[in-house]
Amino acid sequence: MQSLGFAYAIEPVLKKLYPDRTEYEDRLRLHMEYFNTQPYLASFILGAVVRLEQDRATGGHAASDVQGLKDSLMAPLGALGDSFFWGSLKPVTAIVAAALLLTGSWWAPILYLVLYNIWHLGIRTGSFFRGYRTGGDAVDLLARYRFTSRARAFKVVSLIVLGGMIGAMPVWRTEFRPAAHAQALSIAGMAFTLVIIASLQGGNSPIKLMLGLAALCLALAYAGVI
Amino acid sequence: MPLFDMHMVLTIVGIALLGGIIGLDRTAVAQIMISQPIVAAPLIGLTLGDATTGLIVGAALELIWLLDMPVGAFVPADSTVAAVFATAIAILGSPGSERLSLTGFSILLTVLLAPVTMRADTVIRNFNSRLGQRILTPSGEPLGTILSRAHRAGLWVFFVKFFVLYLVLIPVGMIAVRLFTHAPETYHRAMIFYVKVLPLLGAALVVRKLSMKTVDRFLLAGFVMVAVLVQFVHAPALMIMLLIITGASLGARYRERQA
Repeated sequence: MQSLGFAYAIEPVLKKLYPDRTEYEDRLRLHMEYFNTQPYLASFILGAVVRLEQDRATGGHAASDVQGLKDSLMAPLGALGDSFFWGSLKPVTAIVAAALLLTGSWWAPILYLVLYNIWHLGIRTGSFFRGYRTGGDAVDLLARYRFTSRARAFKVVSLIVLGGMIGAMPVWRTEFRPAAHAQALSIAGMAFTLVIIASLQGGNSPIKLMLGLAALCLALAYAGVI
Repeated sequence: MPLFDMHMVLTIVGIALLGGIIGLDRTAVAQIMISQPIVAAPLIGLTLGDATTGLIVGAALELIWLLDMPVGAFVPADSTVAAVFATAIAILGSPGSERLSLTGFSILLTVLLAPVTMRADTVIRNFNSRLGQRILTPSGEPLGTILSRAHRAGLWVFFVKFFVLYLVLIPVGMIAVRLFTHAPETYHRAMIFYVKVLPLLGAALVVRKLSMKTVDRFLLAGFVMVAVLVQFVHAPALMIMLLIITGASLGARYRERQA
């Protein structure tokens, strides 16, 4: 499906570069071949392909160069982008927002959108021009954005803030705060979380856990504990 | 009072339309994250005049589904549908009554949606793949025109999927919520407690995916620092959280520089 989006994005460029309809349609058809990568980093490949198409139209590259470049970049950038954007940037910004929301900050969702999109739109736009300028030099892209080290740092921040979020249970907004002594509440919250983490060794799905938790709550209510 | 009068039907259609637009952000357009539960649920709540319910649903579902990623051929459950659905039925199914237990029940109902949304996503993806193949079949029309039409059709299909799902699921959910209002008090107490501990379940799910260890040192460091601050420094909660976020960011940056 991404091939359709890629072809749609590059279509105006091809129209401009190839006035001959047959050649234009041949090039467009080429870009409808299989394409799958991380959607944000696709802009880097798009920038590089625009550059190569431009070079080709003025008599530079052979036809195989463009498809070869797409083939060689889409898998590594897909893995890198998934790990950075879905596996670290999205969690860190969402965890920060959730932690602030639980302390009663109604504006946390807005902060989430701002924090996430400064990175997202910045990298998406920047990598398009970088792709165009370098003609698809992935090493240059990695050096500029330091995805791996940033992802590592984001994971550390995520874990610390999550720990802090649990520690802050006594000051969570009232809808989320069980009635208990402050100190006991923090420790009970952390103990409960660690028990669930340990139970996840077996790979339980969120659905099973949500159902299990509901059953536990019902049992506690029947027992008169809550 | 009847559950479905004309005003209610129009409200449901309106929410289905808004939910359809929000859903486009999930994979088809922009992906600026308005489709994430922490944003989508408060948006729906605000539209229905109860942002608080949206914030509660958003905070709980965001953490639970945060790292359920579409890796390879795996189609994850649709957290956007869950967020919009839970918020809408909690508010529309209980006009004027105490909502926390109903919010908990609404969130619990979303577990039933997961197989439905996963199946719907698979059908749409297959349809869109066929759409791509169909373009390559010669038809005499300019290829650019066919491409534009197919692209728009792909977007419409996504929108229609969300719109139809909401139009069917929200009324069913509202009936379930209305029935739950008559449940014994024990069930309501259970659902209130459920809402209160859901963020811990979400936190556990995230930690499990971010760290290989059950007792992660960074998790514990954050916990101890905040627990001590909460206990001994009676500063506002927001200030404590901002302090820990800033501290964690500077610490992680320093650690990377050292590495």
